[in-house]
Amino acid sequence: MKFVARLAFFGMLILGLTAPCYAEKIVVEGSTTVLPIAQKAAEVFMQKNQGADIAVRGGGSGVGIASIIDGTCDIADASRPIKESELEKAASYGRDIKAHVIAMDGIAVVVNPSNKVSALSKKQVADIYTGKISNWSEVGGDDQKIVVISRDTSSGTFEAFGELVLEKAKVRPDALMQASNQAVASVVARTPGAIGYVGMGFLSGSVKALKIDGVMPSRELVLTGKYSIGRPLFMYTNGSPRGLVKDFLDFVKSSEGQQLVEGEGFIALK
Amino acid sequence: MMRRVALVLAVAVPVIFSAVFNCVHAGEIDLLLEKLVDKGVLTPGEAQQIGVETKEQVKAEIAAGKSSSLPAWVQNMKLKGDLRLRYQYKHDKAANNYSKDTQIGRLRMRLGLDTKVNEKIMVGVGIATNSDGDPRSTNMTFGKSGDGYSTKMEIRLDNAYAKYDALPWLTIVGGKMLLKDALWEPTDLVWDTDITPEGGVLQFDKKLNSNTSLFMNTGVLIQTDDTSSDNDPVMMYIIQPGATYKINDSMSLKGAFTANIGSNTKGTAYPTGDWYKSSNTKNGSNWAYDYRTISPALELSLKEPFKAAGLDIENMKLFGEYVKNLAVSSNNSGFSLGFQLGNDKISKFGDWQFRYIYAMLEKDAVLDVTPDSDRYSGKTGMRSHEAALSYGLGKNTFLGLDVYRSWSLIGSRAPETLVQVDWNLKF
Repeated sequence: MKFVARLAFFGMLILGLTAPCYAEKIVVEGSTTVLPIAQKAAEVFMQKNQGADIAVRGGGSGVGIASIIDGTCDIADASRPIKESELEKAASYGRDIKAHVIAMDGIAVVVNPSNKVSALSKKQVADIYTGKISNWSEVGGDDQKIVVISRDTSSGTFEAFGELVLEKAKVRPDALMQASNQAVASVVARTPGAIGYVGMGFLSGSVKALKIDGVMPSRELVLTGKYSIGRPLFMYTNGSPRGLVKDFLDFVKSSEGQQLVEGEGFIALK
Repeated sequence: MMRRVALVLAVAVPVIFSAVFNCVHAGEIDLLLEKLVDKGVLTPGEAQQIGVETKEQVKAEIAAGKSSSLPAWVQNMKLKGDLRLRYQYKHDKAANNYSKDTQIGRLRMRLGLDTKVNEKIMVGVGIATNSDGDPRSTNMTFGKSGDGYSTKMEIRLDNAYAKYDALPWLTIVGGKMLLKDALWEPTDLVWDTDITPEGGVLQFDKKLNSNTSLFMNTGVLIQTDDTSSDNDPVMMYIIQPGATYKINDSMSLKGAFTANIGSNTKGTAYPTGDWYKSSNTKNGSNWAYDYRTISPALELSLKEPFKAAGLDIENMKLFGEYVKNLAVSSNNSGFSLGFQLGNDKISKFGDWQFRYIYAMLEKDAVLDVTPDSDRYSGKTGMRSHEAALSYGLGKNTFLGLDVYRSWSLIGSRAPETLVQVDWNLKF
């Protein structure tokens, strides 16, 4: 019995010595789209790993990438691939930037279930959101005014929609701006002439998702790149990740981390 | 883990191979990943992850000059250029003779390439159309080159310079450089933007925090060479400390204070080329004074400034600069004030930008070889309104309308109206 107790004691001692014990702090900075994933993942990771200190801040993809080049952050969050000019700058600073895809961002365009329109081209969606098309009859629907619902300008979904669909053109000024994906879905569900867009994770039976350029939005079609309103989300590091940076990235890419990704309304890679 | 490494290698090798030999296309890589997904070897998410990460890795290696048999400087070479076609109307009321109004057609062509010699050093070279070596203009007037009758036009070396990123916060520039590498200015009151100064400049740039950056440009700009004559060469010693400060997400401020310690103009013969528009005080065939100027400048940028009023204007800038020549006691100052509204950049159809500048420059405020060549023919001793509108016609092409109304500050008012209609094409 004494032997077993000693064995257990030494076993625990060895386990204690080999368990990660962090004395470092890392800074994660960049895209406001990736921010909720990074925040949630950091929160859970720090709960599980005493001593790990992960500071997460936004600022935008460009800010994050500039910071990783300057060496003022350890992980740069980005909702777009790094630009050639940024890579050249990084190379001139002796940085070796590595990309890590951590999730996919997919957006579904939704209408009220009573709407007989079930498919639009990406250009038609852009024309609706910029005010060139304002009646459903112009796209094969009833003679009914289109009520445009959008996410508020500070949201990552708004940013993604602007880049992927509107090509950075302005949303019509009379669009009703909503603070969350749920709010968009809710307004569209109770407004017959409404059109809105939500993260793929927020699709429900109360709204009708439209085919875009002939493709129905689905998790799988975003992952295979066949659905056009989707994009990869990145975390960039300087060189191959090590220490806390590696452990944190491994966690984000793990099944548990990818569940958090789904929970934030994005598409998990696993 | 081993399976994943093997898969990454299986995809990365052909992708890198494609970057080198251009024989495997990105579409084929996607096809390979698709097959692996179809056979159940990879999940769609894994395929997406591997494909995107591998392409990003190849991009990074190409940027760093690591993944090709071609020398890095060839891989990193960038060719760029632009062509501008212009209709220009000029009305010189001084002569009070409408028959002397001029209407001309002009073109400007510029071609430049830059490349990286290594990770720290880049070289830029540019050629441009140019008449008589004019330092302030790269326009050629139709019917004017040679004897007219479609004679061939001149091309000259516009810039040739090297930039060395010595430290993350220090860049050294030498050669015949772009003006923006020598100093920052919100308007062309003191320096025409076509000027490519010759000499050496140190650029200090330090980001203090996410809101504040400090910068300083300092160097020597050589105006004339050193000869065996009694006169020392004309030089400009520049020091320009400045800062940018992001007040909030929609407002930022940039400011600088420039000291330009020009030396040896007094007693030096002024240029005799056709391009030279004499307007400083002269003593015979020499400049009468030196030009040691100080120039504070400020620019306030606002994003969507009229959003609250329902006006969809992307950007507004308010700017101004002041200049004073400390080497002279009278007719020695100038200023410009202006604003810009519209899109920050003209990149597609419908983008627009409107710019207005009021400028005043006394006779000996600055050396008369540097101010904007279009504002009162590039002379000092003038005041001027300028209104310019640019409108995007599509990707890389836009129309421009630039109108100047200027007067002399010396003697009769001698007003001048200049209208320029431009079609700009970038490539």
